[in-house]
Amino acid sequence: MTSVLILNLAWQISTLALVALGLAIVFGKLRIMNMAHGEFVMIGAYAPVITSSLGLPGWLQLPVCLLTVAFVAFILERVVIRHLYGRMFDSLLATWGIAILLREAVELIFGRGYQSVSPPISGTLSVLGSDYPAYRIAVIIGIIIGFAALYWWNARSKVATRIKAMVGNPDLAEAIGINTARLSAGAFIFGCCTAGLAGLILAPTIRIEPMMGLDYLIRSFFALVVGGLGSLEGLGIGAGIIAGTQSFLGAVVSQTYGYLAVLTLSILFLWLKPDGIRSSSR
Amino acid sequence: MTALLEIDTLTGGYRDTNVLFDVSAHIEAGSVLGVFGRNGVGKTTLARLVQGGLHPVHGDIRLNGRSVGDLPAHARRGQGIGYMPQTSMVFDDLTVRENLTLGNAREETETYFDRFPRLAERLDQPAGTMSGGERKILAFVRTMIEDTQVIILDEPSEGVQPENIDHMAECLKERALAGAGILLCEQNLSFLTGVSNWFLGLDAGRVVLNKLASEVPASELRSILSL
Repeated sequence: MTSVLILNLAWQISTLALVALGLAIVFGKLRIMNMAHGEFVMIGAYAPVITSSLGLPGWLQLPVCLLTVAFVAFILERVVIRHLYGRMFDSLLATWGIAILLREAVELIFGRGYQSVSPPISGTLSVLGSDYPAYRIAVIIGIIIGFAALYWWNARSKVATRIKAMVGNPDLAEAIGINTARLSAGAFIFGCCTAGLAGLILAPTIRIEPMMGLDYLIRSFFALVVGGLGSLEGLGIGAGIIAGTQSFLGAVVSQTYGYLAVLTLSILFLWLKPDGIRSSSR
Repeated sequence: MTALLEIDTLTGGYRDTNVLFDVSAHIEAGSVLGVFGRNGVGKTTLARLVQGGLHPVHGDIRLNGRSVGDLPAHARRGQGIGYMPQTSMVFDDLTVRENLTLGNAREETETYFDRFPRLAERLDQPAGTMSGGERKILAFVRTMIEDTQVIILDEPSEGVQPENIDHMAECLKERALAGAGILLCEQNLSFLTGVSNWFLGLDAGRVVLNKLASEVPASELRSILSL
């Protein structure tokens, strides 16, 4: 029983960290309050629906997911986001409209009904005496490895330093030869792709429907509020606290209390510690 | 023969407000153009129009005869125009080392570390933790080591200790001797007159003096500064 609880915690925390990663980049770095973030999770989750309805082999799910999300993100950046960097409130309104548009578009294509897909790995693994879905264990391990790699890359890569430079001082970044328009677009598309990837990974474990994105947006936002913007550590801490609280209270008391606790926690943080636990220097 | 950098009847400023009007000047390879004038006459605007942070309303900027007036700032840097801004001249969140290595460096930093040893001591420290004068020096060295033909410096000596201003002057002369063209906006007259071959005096956004340095007596410079 306890080992299942712990594995559920690990599942909730790791998947929320992955869902929130894109928002951490787009909101934390580019200062675009992307209200359509959840819709990218949703589009990613529809990738297996697309491949199976077209009769394509399962291994094409990942490329279909990333290409679709990247394409939508690219168009969105070109047409709307590009004009809104640094204008947080305007970006909030504009992306809220885009979120509605994307939901309607997906509903038009796939209908309003729930879709479900089966996981690529079936069966269970026995962990400390309890049976747990093998797919979920593979995902937890994959996300941990992915974040470790990202942490390593973030500390060493020149691109990460360029992004940091651009965020801190965009005029000077241009003056030393950094194409800030292209770098911002790349970071935006990358952030959206991680959201799409999260959707693809979550797809076999959830009901896929056009409205599903909102809940992911809200929980990602809560995780960033609590953990603080601008660092991977903050993202991990925020996801840990939000998903941890919600799934613990959800298991021990009830889902409603879990949600209430998370909401209360986020309001308290916004009120008393608006920069979160781990805020970057700016 | 075309000059390294030509500034041709440049008019521009911020949004709807023009600050500079019909400014023309040129910089030959190996020379220093000293731009001077009181506060608010348009020195920084000129620097930013040439560097690409601002775009001209009309007029043009030509590098080796080719127009760069429509290029964004990063592309002008790619063509060989380097720039040290007056304020926010370093990346505060990055270390001194990262500040120096993020752009494309032309040469080794060693000779500069001999002159400014404080930088070498602080390579792994975030630039934002240094004093104003130290940040000026960091930005100055960053601009000097870049792979550029034209270097634009906006008030590099502000808040810098006199002995380090002397070192800056030596660096500028060496870089000019190696073929660079330098546009130097300065309030410090002795620094400016010590390095400039040519003077460009501005008042209220217009050129009031554009002459070979040796033809301009110090009294004339001072009279423009007190206009």
